[in-house]
Amino acid sequence: MTEPRPGHSAGQSEAEAIDRAKQGDAQAFEFLYNLHKRRVYSLCLRMTANTAEAEDLTQEAFLQLFRKIGTFRGESAFSTWLHRMAVNVVLMHLRKKGLPVVSLEEATEGDEDTPKKDFGADDPVLSGSVDRLRLQNAVEQLPPGYRSIFVLHDIEGYEHNEIAAMVGCSIGNSKSQLHKARMKLREFLKTSRAEKAG
Amino acid sequence: MTCAEFQRELPEYLEGGAPQLRDHLNMCPSCSGLVASLESISREARQLQASEEPSPRVWNSIEIALRQEKLIREPRPRNTLVPSLFQRWGAMAWAVPVAAALLVVVGISLYQRPSSPTDARQRTAGNTPAVTAKFAGDPSDEQLLQEVSRRAPLMRDAYERNLKDVNDYIKDAQDSVNADPNDEEAQQALIDAYGQKSMIYEMALDRSLP
Repeated sequence: MTEPRPGHSAGQSEAEAIDRAKQGDAQAFEFLYNLHKRRVYSLCLRMTANTAEAEDLTQEAFLQLFRKIGTFRGESAFSTWLHRMAVNVVLMHLRKKGLPVVSLEEATEGDEDTPKKDFGADDPVLSGSVDRLRLQNAVEQLPPGYRSIFVLHDIEGYEHNEIAAMVGCSIGNSKSQLHKARMKLREFLKTSRAEKAG
Repeated sequence: MTCAEFQRELPEYLEGGAPQLRDHLNMCPSCSGLVASLESISREARQLQASEEPSPRVWNSIEIALRQEKLIREPRPRNTLVPSLFQRWGAMAWAVPVAAALLVVVGISLYQRPSSPTDARQRTAGNTPAVTAKFAGDPSDEQLLQEVSRRAPLMRDAYERNLKDVNDYIKDAQDSVNADPNDEEAQQALIDAYGQKSMIYEMALDRSLP
């Protein structure tokens, strides 16, 4: 792996690598890949819950980026550009597989998937601590539609207006799906913790 | 406000709206606990960003594709190849000269150009079976893959796919040359195809494996 040269900040090295990659420099491509591979791969893995698919999608996202690198002018952050490309690659893949990218329904009442609402019961279990590994496993169990929104918003940090534009839903639907995803995760985590204690 | 009413408005509250819910939260331990759980989940989710690492085969496949598409244009460093070859590969060191030999044979067969189309068909009929027979079902490929399997099993599938693709490319290019031996583009395509195969061998030997 090509490491940034001593004395240079990561930002300067990335800009230099982009310029060299435009000239066809192999080490520059590898440097850019190593700089961003974890973020892209983790996104693909969380969205698909499948290692082989995630690796293929990571490869596709980087190839699309590198093919277009000559057009990158630096108006936005390179990482933003790459990340958007990766999200689009994953969403297209999910659509091709016929998996729901987002659930279409907006109502929160009468939905089979709506987690049961707790009325009047204490909820001390998850306050203040969530085990990362258990959360990771719980995310994998989410239905694909909930998982996409949760990954894009809570893990990757996109806003609802951005998510709505990417997945083709309303902002209200994005908020609703996110809430349902979190409620579902809460259920999974409580069950998992109860099993562990028992 | 009841808990049911509160939870109906909760999505909006968690997005920074519905300030009127705050009073209920201050008075209801159950709903307050629920909100704390959901906020904790959201907070911890950020730890999952960039938390996983892809296997080495991903970069390997990307690099092969970049070279095939000529997006990587610089010459590969040669100084590591010869000294390290026999140390690391021993019996497999034959593979690079074989790949180079493929290019030489192709070059010779292409440059023995016929003077007429009839001549061309006769000479191609004579040449092609030999050339094709020499490289069809190339046992070198199988030996390379066996060595890759032995040293870096995770890479085998990627190399197998790439060898299959480049062999298909060679076959198509060869068919084009057979159809019209005077077609310079077809000749160049065949040279390029063998060049790509040579590159795959070189990468497998020099770069991609520990």
